[in-house]
Amino acid sequence: MSITDILLAVAILGGAVYILYRSICRKKGHCSGCSGLCGKEKDNFLL
Amino acid sequence: MKTITVAVAGNPNSGKSTLINAIAGTNLQVGNWPGVTVEKKTATLKVDDLIINLVDLPGIYSLSPYTQEEVIARDFLVKEKPDLIIDVVDSTNLERNLYLTVQLLELEIPVVLALNIFDEAKKKGYEFDIEKLEELLGIKVIPTVATKKEGIKELLEMIKNIGNGIIKLMPKKLNYGEDIENSIKTIEESLRVKDPGLINKYPSRWLALKILEEDSLVMKEIGLEDAEKFIKKAKSHFINSHNEDIESILADIRYGIANAVTRDVLREKDGKRIDFTERIDRVVLNKYLGIPIFLASMWIVFKISFDFSAPFSDWIDSLISGHIKKWTSFVLNQIGTPEWIISLMTEGVITGVGAVLVFIPVIAVMMFMITLLEGSGYMARAAFIMDRLMHSIGLHGKSFIPMLLGFGCNVPSIYATRVLETERDRKLTAMLVPLMSCGARLPVYVIFIGAFFSQNAPTVLWSLYVLGIFMAVVLGFILKKTVYKGFAPLFIMELPPYRLPVLRDLMVHTWQKLKHFVIKAGTYIFAVSVIMWFLLNTPYGIEKENSLLGKIGKTLSPVFEPLGFGTWEASSSLIAGLIAKEVVVSTMAQIYVTEENKEVEAEKSLLEEFKDIIVSFVAAIKEAFENLISGFSIKSLSTEEDEELTPLKSKLQGIFTPLSAYAFLAFVLLYWPCVVVGIAMKQEFGSWKIYGQALVIHTIMAWLVAFFIYQGGRILGF
Repeated sequence: MSITDILLAVAILGGAVYILYRSICRKKGHCSGCSGLCGKEKDNFLL
Repeated sequence: MKTITVAVAGNPNSGKSTLINAIAGTNLQVGNWPGVTVEKKTATLKVDDLIINLVDLPGIYSLSPYTQEEVIARDFLVKEKPDLIIDVVDSTNLERNLYLTVQLLELEIPVVLALNIFDEAKKKGYEFDIEKLEELLGIKVIPTVATKKEGIKELLEMIKNIGNGIIKLMPKKLNYGEDIENSIKTIEESLRVKDPGLINKYPSRWLALKILEEDSLVMKEIGLEDAEKFIKKAKSHFINSHNEDIESILADIRYGIANAVTRDVLREKDGKRIDFTERIDRVVLNKYLGIPIFLASMWIVFKISFDFSAPFSDWIDSLISGHIKKWTSFVLNQIGTPEWIISLMTEGVITGVGAVLVFIPVIAVMMFMITLLEGSGYMARAAFIMDRLMHSIGLHGKSFIPMLLGFGCNVPSIYATRVLETERDRKLTAMLVPLMSCGARLPVYVIFIGAFFSQNAPTVLWSLYVLGIFMAVVLGFILKKTVYKGFAPLFIMELPPYRLPVLRDLMVHTWQKLKHFVIKAGTYIFAVSVIMWFLLNTPYGIEKENSLLGKIGKTLSPVFEPLGFGTWEASSSLIAGLIAKEVVVSTMAQIYVTEENKEVEAEKSLLEEFKDIIVSFVAAIKEAFENLISGFSIKSLSTEEDEELTPLKSKLQGIFTPLSAYAFLAFVLLYWPCVVVGIAMKQEFGSWKIYGQALVIHTIMAWLVAFFIYQGGRILGF
């Protein structure tokens, strides 16, 4: 493996760890029990 | 542009969320059982020049502070002072619902009463004098059928007219009798002198009534001691003429008003008759038949889930592990991608994520079936049936509601413990919820069941769910005797009538339950697959067994030796399962499925491959319906799999025995709850302590159960 490969591998691994952190800690596993209204609170101008 | 806030309040299961969905086009979770909404939610819509914030409040029976939902709803109504309250009333049960209406009128906020479920009331032969109801209470009344969007236009028009000041509405001050009215007056006058700020902050009549009732939260909030002179004076006046506590007297008066109004406005055409719901309940809630019927209905859910979804799972499997992997590898090779990136993409990402995506059809069908049971009203019966069993562990049937929700995902179930009255009940239920087998565990079950128990697939799956419930009872019993000592209060639960759920709602809510599995596959299953690939390939080019993950697995494998799966592969997969239970399967797929397992296929053109994909999808649809129709004699997922095992399943057959496979499944069912459940517990209870306890207790319990299954099975000669 060349140095470029190693740097690329570190970047990919770092990205994966970040996605994992974000999914678990910030998005609560995408199953926060918001019961269907997540993200609709402010922009639901349907009528 | 004017903005108004409209609170949507009402008894549990009166259809508040369905009404908001009908008005605003949102997809709030609904279900035919009390307690679906446990927190307030807002939907915003614009009608002409008016912006309306609709706030869905949890269902409540009164404005007393006995449960967290009541506190949430009451806090909003009293502190936020909405411009209008839509009181959603179940018209098949007017008198009971009016008890809350009477209390809402005390808030001195305009009220529009949505006489919901009006179609069922008419079917029952009820006739309402709507004008009289409006006149008696000083409100507006609109009949609605939220599920069919009937009356929604009229309701919206009314909101608009009140919001724009075209219709002026002020609820009537209902007379509570001379004694109470005098006491209210005394308190109001004293407050006006003593603390005028309070009168501006809260509705004065409501505040006076709460002071009279000695409402603990209100007393604390306003900072008045019970001993205040004027309160004593008001009460003494009262107590002298009645020999009962004030809260009970006020409750009697409110019920009296609700009863009198109902008698005035409601006419029943026919006499009392035994309706459809009662007839079914006589069987379903039977003392001896209730639990067997519940267990049988669960078995049917699993049977249908397996049979209908199997062909689709096979189709996705062949698509991902065949075509997509091949195409990805081809494209990456063509553009000169390094070998390790090709391996990362095919053996890491596609194999790992694909292993989970394959089971989306099973999860989808099961979530559909669970939503169907929820919407029909049967799930509320399940909680009622389980009441006796739950009492043995110091809880009551209401605790079974969050646990039932856990069959979908344990995370919302932790939040749903809010429906319970005491902190002890909530914590104890939260400790038991992770033992309910969530959808994320399904991929693990299905892959092992397909490999080892193909002839009895639904029964084995059913046994795992029942084992989860059984172990929850056992653990609950132990915790009740040790950590969570206490007494379960009497369980009173309203059983909703049976209803045929609306197909659109069913599909929407199935999707809501399924959605997070799909998002998870694309986000953190993807991320974990990448991380696992690195752990399995560090240092690069080495045998997997000697990789970083292999070494960790090997170190821990002796712990699992007595359970029949003391291999580094099983240990590594189980550790990864802490992130999410599906990861057990995706990690196993990465470990076991290698290029050498791949079958060599004849070269085909791209067009031929597309044709194959479409033909096999059509065949899958046909087969799914055939399975469903042929019913219970069935060639299910499993029997199909006998003919053609996937590489992962055949590999598993070489490593596990049926006995060690079942012990492994029991371990996966019971061991540590995933980290997201931990985060939910931390949020709900304010510390990591409960999750810490759950991690340790569940893992020890899982080890012991798997040990007894494996060693017991060996002694019995399995």
